Amino acid sequence: MNDAAVEDHLDLADDASGRPDAVGRPTLWNPRQPNARRSLLLCGVGALAGLLIAGFGLFTAQGTRTFVVPPEDAATVNGVPILRADVIGQLRALDDVSLGEATPAQKHKVLADMVREELYVQRGVELGAPTDDTDVRQALVAGTEAVVAQDALTSRPSEAELHGWYDAHQDTYAGEGQMTVQDVRLPSAQATGADKIVAALRSGSTPAALDLKGSGRLTGDAQFYFAARIHLGDALFAVARRLKDGEVSAPVAEPDGVHILVMTHNQQPLPASYQDAHDRVLRDFLAAKVARLQAGNERFLRRRADIKIAGDFK
Amino acid sequence: MASSPPRRRLFALTPILLVLLAVFGFEVMRVQGQAAVLRSDPEAVLTTPALRRTAVARGGPVYQRYCSSCHGAEGKGDHGGGVPDFSDGTHLYGQGRVAEIEEIARHGIRADDKQGFDLASMPAFGTAHPYKAEPLPSLTPGQMEDITQYLLAFTGRATRPDAAQRGGALYRDYGGCYDCHGYNGEGDDAIGAPALTDEVWLYGHGSHDDIYRTLEHGRAGMSPAFGRVLNADQLRDVAVYVASLEPSNAKPAGPR
Repeated sequence: MNDAAVEDHLDLADDASGRPDAVGRPTLWNPRQPNARRSLLLCGVGALAGLLIAGFGLFTAQGTRTFVVPPEDAATVNGVPILRADVIGQLRALDDVSLGEATPAQKHKVLADMVREELYVQRGVELGAPTDDTDVRQALVAGTEAVVAQDALTSRPSEAELHGWYDAHQDTYAGEGQMTVQDVRLPSAQATGADKIVAALRSGSTPAALDLKGSGRLTGDAQFYFAARIHLGDALFAVARRLKDGEVSAPVAEPDGVHILVMTHNQQPLPASYQDAHDRVLRDFLAAKVARLQAGNERFLRRRADIKIAGDFK
Repeated sequence: MASSPPRRRLFALTPILLVLLAVFGFEVMRVQGQAAVLRSDPEAVLTTPALRRTAVARGGPVYQRYCSSCHGAEGKGDHGGGVPDFSDGTHLYGQGRVAEIEEIARHGIRADDKQGFDLASMPAFGTAHPYKAEPLPSLTPGQMEDITQYLLAFTGRATRPDAAQRGGALYRDYGGCYDCHGYNGEGDDAIGAPALTDEVWLYGHGSHDDIYRTLEHGRAGMSPAFGRVLNADQLRDVAVYVASLEPSNAKPAGPR
């Protein structure tokens, strides 16, 4: 029998007591030989490793650490973190110093105030402030809506999406039209001769040459359409908007007399190019996305909730 | 005397154990390094080479994933969309401190986060209601042209001195521009009102039409709030990375 065969024979013949085998090795470490103590030992090592891993995860995972203050926090209050970044922001806002420049007293005061705030927030929740206090309720509603909005804003839409939005809402991105127009008002005594005055103006006379007075609604400067509409009123603005440069309107009867409009320059709204409107397109696209997500969020909350409504309110 | 087979197996296991030990050691060092970045004064991270290396190395990929789609791969911004250039040495909000950048990354600008910057925006003076937050007068096209000429005059580009003079009066009085941009156009980094006297422009390149368009339609750029997307490590790292893009911060000043 060669050495290896002898060794195998002796291994198999040995018991599970852990006594040395024929070549002086403890059988505990001989993987070819069954050994109850080894099994228990390995089982224990495995359990211990598992506990260590679980314990490490339990006490160091973000938001669950209880033994130490995580490096990103300045303190925790009943497990709720106070971020270092917030302390640094407060130091800058209150004392205009960085963390490195702040004195211990400044740091202590800022942190003490923030701890106090956190304590009162937690106590407020315990006392039912979200249920009883209308300000807290409104703040919670606004805050929850804001969270949905924040999530929606963190992903940037593609250029194709933005271009699609622009194409679908091109009218929105047209600039305001502008007009420079004179508004002549005829007193009641001259109203019957309005047609002749219009004819004279159309043949090239100016209101000044005909000794006509303005209504006082316009200054004679260029105005955006929205301003012209406010100054002239809807009826006169509708007439003015159709006039071309140099045109004179037909007489328009208004409660304060008969008006004649002499258009100097009328620039219709011009559509803005995609490039010129890019920032507004992005803003509007994101606003619409936020509105959609908030509506979806509300539908989800209603679907998930158990809402019972009294018979007389159905 | 030759080793027995089990002992040989133990020798074979040694390299594996060493590798595991090295991985564990490396992970401990990495976590410690990151914790040091978080526990330090944010401004000190930029000037301490070891901390800076850690933060910049980790912040770069975060920037590329979350910021570069707007600010560009090299942080040069986008004049078409009013996205600031991180490397031009000017700051729209704050003074370019790491803590300020981190705050913007966390809470955003006009991003529906109450801790973010959202105190003011550029009114649309060519509309009936220029500003939501408070009543402001609309301007006529002529008044907007006058203010445009006034702003062009800061960089010697006004073509109508009389209009520029009228524009100055409007700027300092009726239009209320001074309220945000300062009496002399120096800007206010607390509310994101840019300086108007230099040659750095946020929207477009400061042409007559760019300025007029801004007056007419207003501006309200937005930066998302990543406080619920990125963790504290990532926020600090990306802030340090962005600060490092500024030429004056190109190299750490502190001792190695």
